[in-house]
Amino acid sequence: MHPMIELRGLHRYFGRTRAVCDVNFSVERGQVFGYIGPNGAGKTTSMRILATLDQPTYGDALVDGFSVVNDPDRVRRRLGFMPDYFGTYSNVNVREYLDFYARAYGLRGSERTRALSYVMGFTKLDQLAEKPIDGLSKGMKQRLCLGRALIHDPGVLVLDEPAAGLDPRARIQLREMIRALAGHGKTVLVSSHILTELAEMCDLVGIIERGRLLAVGSVEEIQRGRQTRQATRMQVRLLDDATSLANWLAQRDGIEQIQTDGNSATFTHQADAEAEAALLRAMIEAGLRVVAFGSQTKTLEEVFMQVTEGHVQ
Amino acid sequence: MSDFVASPFGVTDTGDADPAGNGAPAPASLAPEPQDLSAGNVWQRLDDALVWVGDRLNPILVKETRQALKSRQFIVTFTLVLALAWVWSIFGVAVIGPSIYIAARGLDMFLGYYVILAVPLLVVVPFGAFRSLASEREDGTYELLSITTLRPRQIVSGKLGSAILQMLVYLSAVAPCLAFTYMLRGIDAPTILYVICCFFFGSLGASVLGLLVATLTNDKHWQIVLSVLFLFGLAMLLWFGLMMGFAVLAEMGPPFQDQMFWIVNAVIFTAYASYFALSFCAASAQLTFASDNRSTKLRMVMVGQQALLVGWFGWYMFQDDVEPDVLLVYFAIAAIHWSVMGMFINAEFGELSLRVKRQLPQSFLGRLFLTWFNPGPATGYMFVVANLLSVLVVAGGFLIYNSVFSKVGVRTPRSVLFAFGALTCSYIVVYLGVGRLLITLLRRVSHVSLVLAVLLQALLVLAGCGIPLSIHLMTPEIRRDYSLIEISNPFYSLVEVLDERGFGFEVNVLLTVVPVAAGFVFLLNLPGVVSAVNQVRIAQPKRVREEDAELEAQRAPPPGPTSPFDE
Repeated sequence: MHPMIELRGLHRYFGRTRAVCDVNFSVERGQVFGYIGPNGAGKTTSMRILATLDQPTYGDALVDGFSVVNDPDRVRRRLGFMPDYFGTYSNVNVREYLDFYARAYGLRGSERTRALSYVMGFTKLDQLAEKPIDGLSKGMKQRLCLGRALIHDPGVLVLDEPAAGLDPRARIQLREMIRALAGHGKTVLVSSHILTELAEMCDLVGIIERGRLLAVGSVEEIQRGRQTRQATRMQVRLLDDATSLANWLAQRDGIEQIQTDGNSATFTHQADAEAEAALLRAMIEAGLRVVAFGSQTKTLEEVFMQVTEGHVQ
Repeated sequence: MSDFVASPFGVTDTGDADPAGNGAPAPASLAPEPQDLSAGNVWQRLDDALVWVGDRLNPILVKETRQALKSRQFIVTFTLVLALAWVWSIFGVAVIGPSIYIAARGLDMFLGYYVILAVPLLVVVPFGAFRSLASEREDGTYELLSITTLRPRQIVSGKLGSAILQMLVYLSAVAPCLAFTYMLRGIDAPTILYVICCFFFGSLGASVLGLLVATLTNDKHWQIVLSVLFLFGLAMLLWFGLMMGFAVLAEMGPPFQDQMFWIVNAVIFTAYASYFALSFCAASAQLTFASDNRSTKLRMVMVGQQALLVGWFGWYMFQDDVEPDVLLVYFAIAAIHWSVMGMFINAEFGELSLRVKRQLPQSFLGRLFLTWFNPGPATGYMFVVANLLSVLVVAGGFLIYNSVFSKVGVRTPRSVLFAFGALTCSYIVVYLGVGRLLITLLRRVSHVSLVLAVLLQALLVLAGCGIPLSIHLMTPEIRRDYSLIEISNPFYSLVEVLDERGFGFEVNVLLTVVPVAAGFVFLLNLPGVVSAVNQVRIAQPKRVREEDAELEAQRAPPPGPTSPFDE
């Protein structure tokens, strides 16, 4: 089986500017892929190429096995795209807007009526059906755009900054919508600057900067991957005062930056998971009454800051 | 793709929405359930029929109609047309006075309505079509439209459909007034109908041109420049339409009894239809994605135009007592047409996408005859040269026929006429060939866009004419007469051939050097042509074959008994 989204050596140059350079990743059916990067990193360019709105200079992108370069017509039937900015028609209300796109995707008769009804219900736009688009708030427009992307029931969704400008409630609802879509077998590629939200909803994350993909994998893999290359920050909590633990740790090799705070102690351990297990066993054998033992995992934001350098093209 | 059962929408439809798993709209299972029409009353059946028709209308047409009905611009224009028509009716009747009962004053009234109708039909509707597409590109709505499953030709035809609908609305507003002019006498129904047809086709032609112009650039600054130019063109069309209308109507009306009137109309209409098709295909090609074949349909239309040109002139030239000088018009039309088309064909990009390579002709005959329809400047150059050759062959055939059967004396010797044609074609072959080589070289070092490539070729012709002309005019010894320094100037040289009406030294040199140069340039272009011819069809990707097989299986009729003996 082929992945639903696959980028193969994707390059995109605008004159001498390198927008995307040798980006490779794949997303399987039902997965949510979070695309993270600073402004101008190449996220939107990659997404526009996937949506068949732009062409790669080299390389290719595949949607459900079809090339966006050579079979864009087949890709378009499978893909719903939500851009970060979209223009709207004047003198058109919500229902007419969605109806137009349903017709444009070839939906007819009761098939169209059902799709409209379901999309408006799913995006909670049914109460605004007769409202002109010009009068919608930013959040409502975002929902409308998501509804438009969903109207033909595509297998792949590409969402560029869907949460931008939304209030906290709308963001939570959007996150739930995306998880629900993935739960129903949709493959979602979503970019966002709100990394905590991406960490919660994404199965996979890719970090891009200056057109290059710096890291790709599950959120846990990325967090762990970053830590294995460098020192792991460990945290241990005891029933007793942690001073005895600090003294004990100070005598061992590979342990640095010991800090105590009441019953807790934190330290840096230059070793892998095997050595961590051995350290815990040694603590218990030494008579230390350990209540909690674990690594302090970094948040996605910390990993992002560590991986990227803040360069803008 | 999930069908609606598995979709997040919680749909209860049990049909398999997309067996191909491609995310495409479901082919059959989600289609409206068959209804028992006999069960409903007449209104229900009518409603169902209207829904059925509405589903099959172009989505753009539906959307634009909805927008237009709410738009201030349309309401204002429509009200204005209606009000002006009423004002003119009252004013005209008041001016005519009591003589309205006895005098035939319909034509006077009609001319007023003609002016009222001309502005919306020849300016407002075409400019509206232009703005409709241009604003989609400016406002960013076009991108979302372009990634739907609508084909570019559906987008263009939807916009055109909307323009036609507006025309019909304006015409319907003035229709009672036109009927009124008929009742006043002084103008007959065929004339009214003829004028309405002219308006309709004029407006339609201008609208399709507007759509083509709107596709030329995405850049806002260029859009503004094009808007101004297009508006100026529409103003010219309005002026021409008014002048022609007044001249024909005020004098004597269209000469419906004259056979030549209908022949000329047929010629104009077929030429109009062919250029309409060319503009339509060009606008669609501009909107299609980069890897698709944008050229073949255009070249097929061009072949149709060539057939029309050859057909009409052939028909006319083989009539009795036709002066062979008519060939000059034939050569002039062919030269202008193929020079312009050749410049655009030369400006195409040479690399064939994998998608195009999947559709290349494969058989020997297919490759022999259809390769020249493949995209790319090399095949295009051969295509133009072949068409120019056919122009010459037909002209040669006519001249032989004319020299044997015609009893009419000739003003220009037949040999001079043929030399004129051969020289015209040779110049086109030279300039297009050099232009193609130049563009190929430039594209090796830099990106040369289609528009820039056309401009470069125009500059090449201008340099070929302007530089020798300047030198010629600044040289007192030779400035009065034709000089061979003008050999690269086709206009001056061709006029010289006609002026001499014989074969003097300069003409003989021209007739030797220019065709030889054409042959040389043609040979220089041949390597490019050979590599274009050597392109072969490639296989479809496995995934495409898989999906095509699935779709084919869906379309296949269900297995059933094929004879009475089958179970």
